[in-house]
Amino acid sequence: MHRLSVILIKEWREALRNKMVLFGVLFLPLLLVGVSVYMVSEGGGTDDPIAQIVLFNTSLMYFLLLPAIIPLAIAVYSIVGEKDQSTLEPLLSTPVSDLELFLGKALASVIPALAVNWTCFGAFLAITSILLGGLPPHVLTVPWLASIFGLSPLLSLFAVSVTMLVSSRASDARAAYQVSSFAILPGVIPLIVYSSRKTLVNLTLVGIEAAVLLVASAVLLAFAIRVFRREQILTRWT
Amino acid sequence: MITARGLTRRFGDLVAVDRLDLDVSKGEVFGFLGPNGAGKTTTVRMLAALIAPTSGEATVAGQRLGFANREIRQRVGVLTETPGLYRRLSAWDNLIFFAKLHRLADPATQVERYLKLFDLWDRRDEPAGSYSKGMRQKLAIARALLHEPEVLFLDEPTASLDPESAKAVRDLIETLQSRERTIFLCTHNLDEADRLCDRVALFNQRLIAVGEPQHLREQMYGRRTVVHVADLRPGLEDALDLPFVTGVERVDDALVVSLTDPDRENPALVRRLVELGAEVRYVNELRMSLEDLYLDLMEDADAST
Repeated sequence: MHRLSVILIKEWREALRNKMVLFGVLFLPLLLVGVSVYMVSEGGGTDDPIAQIVLFNTSLMYFLLLPAIIPLAIAVYSIVGEKDQSTLEPLLSTPVSDLELFLGKALASVIPALAVNWTCFGAFLAITSILLGGLPPHVLTVPWLASIFGLSPLLSLFAVSVTMLVSSRASDARAAYQVSSFAILPGVIPLIVYSSRKTLVNLTLVGIEAAVLLVASAVLLAFAIRVFRREQILTRWT
Repeated sequence: MITARGLTRRFGDLVAVDRLDLDVSKGEVFGFLGPNGAGKTTTVRMLAALIAPTSGEATVAGQRLGFANREIRQRVGVLTETPGLYRRLSAWDNLIFFAKLHRLADPATQVERYLKLFDLWDRRDEPAGSYSKGMRQKLAIARALLHEPEVLFLDEPTASLDPESAKAVRDLIETLQSRERTIFLCTHNLDEADRLCDRVALFNQRLIAVGEPQHLREQMYGRRTVVHVADLRPGLEDALDLPFVTGVERVDDALVVSLTDPDRENPALVRRLVELGAEVRYVNELRMSLEDLYLDLMEDADAST
């Protein structure tokens, strides 16, 4: 646990000094909060129920894209950065275990992603309430909360596992970022269903997405842990 | 401090290290010499418990490889060929990170001590990426030493350093040796190996020779005395009829005489030359360089495979 926290702090220190990572972690969330506030405000002001539902669902989808997108930037630079700086061997020469290293890298991406996402969601609720004098109906519902607090961690886990697998084979951060962005699509495509529906998101839909993500994340996580072995890192990673 | 028996590592069909037997004592500076691709890095990685051997066994700092890898990593320090620093982090943050991974009791004090030792204290808050090559190398060495390892694996520690920094590193190695630290030194700098190492191993996938540099030289070339003579007349070498002389060679204005025990035989050799009418200017021992030895042994090894 001690070494895990040491790795986490180091990862965040590095991320805070990396403009590319900071841009990915802060710019997109701020943009999506703004867009979501606008869409919900528009939805709250329209009399067309279908348009209202589509706008609300799309807003929700944005808050489910964030936990999948934010970890990409951190995880890619965390792993490709180690390769680029030739720091893997000195790091692996310490008594840190493979699992501590893996968890340190994974959590260093997942924790900020969830923190930023939930903070943005809170900001979205607050700004919307202030602008509209209260939240429109069907925004702060059980399916919304289940999506935000239940699906977000699974989406982050899925994205981190994908990114770690991709980054282990990449030597260029930008290439790894692009490939990872495509590779996470199977996990986020079902979310698009949210925005295209003419009925409100319900718990069944959230449950199906959660089950799919759970299975996919478990499989990918198992692969990522296998790739994250000392010997593999030193002899196979490019 | 380090023992290896039949240590072998294969990568598919490639045998990187073939049945390596080694014994390195506590406090010894052990040079591990070989060409690029010889398997030196693979050997270090195995001994530092970073990768597993395909077969064979080893003990490092009293811990058996494969059974106590974490303990081995706690007791060894590794300086890799490239410094491998977090460029965006300061020197202080770089060292504190590793000090905490090693769970040092007082990481800040230890980091301060090594930053001061390597004259990096005043620039501790600057990113490591802004450091010169020499400063980066010093920082990397400090990192390898932070946890006071019993065994230190150094891969090309003075490569890319200016002469002053290289000397500082060599002095440090001598200091560490005096403190009973065991140093496993991989280097292409044969002069450095000759000066620093108690023993050297010549290695190219398998062990070619191991021993004290001087002993290896004697084994390879014997001991030879060079006698510089004024007006070296023809036939003098043939007239040198002493029983302990095993060979004489004329090189420019000198005779290179092969002896079995020069310390005892040199006075008689000089007396005989004077008797033969030679004007002896001065006498010295022919000392082949470690480079000569390395090249000849590697050539022999290539020829035998």
